[in-house]
Amino acid sequence: MKPKSDRLEPDPVIEAYKKDIDRTLLRENLKRTVAERLANLVALQELAEEARRAGERVDRPRD
Amino acid sequence: MLVNGWIVLVTDFKQLIASLVESDVEFIVVGGLAATVHGSARLTQDVDVVYSRSHENIERMVTALAPFEPYLRGAPPGLPFEWSTATIKSGLNFTLTTTIGDIDVLGEIAGGGFYDALVEHTIVIDLFGHECKCLDLPTLIATKRAAGRPRDLEAIAELEALHEEREGQ
Repeated sequence: MKPKSDRLEPDPVIEAYKKDIDRTLLRENLKRTVAERLANLVALQELAEEARRAGERVDRPRD
Repeated sequence: MLVNGWIVLVTDFKQLIASLVESDVEFIVVGGLAATVHGSARLTQDVDVVYSRSHENIERMVTALAPFEPYLRGAPPGLPFEWSTATIKSGLNFTLTTTIGDIDVLGEIAGGGFYDALVEHTIVIDLFGHECKCLDLPTLIATKRAAGRPRDLEAIAELEALHEEREGQ
């Protein structure tokens, strides 16, 4: 099977989702280097993990 | 992995990639990590790679990941799953959890095929100080579209928006 990477026809469902994409975030990301994007991903993942743990601490019944 | 009694779900992207590269595994970064490389603002929590199905490459991949005790993600503990060349050869796509995070090792992806078909649609990137192959943006979009998963719709829309932004630059 060969990948089909030619220009794809617009999909109406995807076009509907596209209207809600925050392009300002994408433009900021495109100004960054790949290394900066990856560093941002790692930082975001650590932030998400810390938030998850904070939520667990709230939910965990006190002894 | 456990840190101070808490289960930590942060994936060590750097270590996973380093292990594969340093063992000379032939692989292509796909999925959410590839999307990040292309500028996606979405958070991904695992590494997805398409690996070459040659016997030698499978052996290298098994050796590279063995120290991190790969196990079938979501499967109950205690299953007779053996991380070995024979296991990988008898299967194709594996969604795994390891001691340093989750990794999907894929022999084939929908709309893209095997490593050999995909490799001409890659770019070479520096990933955490290691040179490796990453699926190019148009092919990443095409494969996600071909997968046809409803949960990918937002991600596809973002990737297509990125493609438009890049073309507009």
